[in-house]
Amino acid sequence: MGLQLIAPDINIDFVGKRFFFVAVSTVINLAAILLLIFVGLNYGVDFVGGSVVQLKFDQPTSAERIRTALGSLDLGDVTVQDFGARDENQYLVRFETVKSVGSIGPRLEAALDRSYGATNKAQVLRVETVGSKVGHDLRIDGFLAVAFATVFMGVYIALRFRNVSWSFGAGAVIALIHDVLVVTGALVISRLEFDLTTLAAVLTIIAYSVHDTIIVSDRIREDAAKRRRESLDVTMNRAINETLSRTVLTSGTALTVVTSLLVLGGPILRPAAFTLFVGIITGTYSSIYIAGPVVLFWEKGRIGGKTAATRAA
Amino acid sequence: MPVEIRSARGLYRLAEAAPPESSPDSLVLTLALERADGVERVVLRCRIASALSASEADTAGLLARLKPWIEREFEPTREAALKSIRSERRLHEIVFDRAHPGPF
Repeated sequence: MGLQLIAPDINIDFVGKRFFFVAVSTVINLAAILLLIFVGLNYGVDFVGGSVVQLKFDQPTSAERIRTALGSLDLGDVTVQDFGARDENQYLVRFETVKSVGSIGPRLEAALDRSYGATNKAQVLRVETVGSKVGHDLRIDGFLAVAFATVFMGVYIALRFRNVSWSFGAGAVIALIHDVLVVTGALVISRLEFDLTTLAAVLTIIAYSVHDTIIVSDRIREDAAKRRRESLDVTMNRAINETLSRTVLTSGTALTVVTSLLVLGGPILRPAAFTLFVGIITGTYSSIYIAGPVVLFWEKGRIGGKTAATRAA
Repeated sequence: MPVEIRSARGLYRLAEAAPPESSPDSLVLTLALERADGVERVVLRCRIASALSASEADTAGLLARLKPWIEREFEPTREAALKSIRSERRLHEIVFDRAHPGPF
């Protein structure tokens, strides 16, 4: 007998609890919108422009000492952060783009040499600069990429499931908006950097979440065709339970990989790994508690208790 | 003295970033690849087997030998160097030996 995590005849009342979970999700989404407006994402150099410099020292030093040492260069707002393991003595320095970027590496090394002397030699391992105009354009393009991905996924699902209900498209879009808001809200709270890699992770989550929604919606379509006299909420609840084992296994294995990435992937990959981690959880949740209920609210509002049979016919 | 590297990404300069480290087997050069306008800089190491580096009297000669090779292999070299520093927090090392002599 094989390992069975979820009994085949499981029957959890997901649909019955939809009002509670939709209310919870609405509160979380509103909180995420407020966080995005009043606190904002911690945009990386990719999106706001500026320079990021990776420094390596021979001996340990402090962020404050580095900031002081670079004070003479008039770099604008400078942030310094420990990077990697403690004994690696590496630091990431970020600053607004200086008017004349030319030879910033040697200038930084010279300023650090003057301050630290020969006792603690600093080496500029990496300098990467993005102009503020490019950063602004990337931010607009990033937003458009997320918006287009969400809308077109919704259009596709609406067309694909039109024989059951056009509202599946609306359900998918609202579930995706929910996922993006939860993930970005979590990024605001965590203060992890939002850069191009994180944006790629958000787009990945949109794809993952819609994939999960399609699995559930497809089973609803099948069950609706088989049980024509059954109401849509009963059909939907059965479909969610029937696909629960697959949902849990898929999300569980994906989460295992992402958790490894989050723990072992290092500081550069951490924001993207965190985004995927939160996104997989919320994407799975939204497939059950957001996409389905939106269809139900739509259908009940439109036809008031009409059976699935009529729609699947 | 830096050498100029012409790439699809623009003009770069290749220069020594730290004094060479010498051992009986090899010579290690720590090099900075920096875009001429300064918007990008990445440091990498070249380990050259002693038998290959012996023909050049100084670092300038070695840099001149490396120039055409780096120009040809610019994209993978730059990408590997940036990736190594970002993700592994260590310098990417290119090894030139009898099996892979590169430009030597």
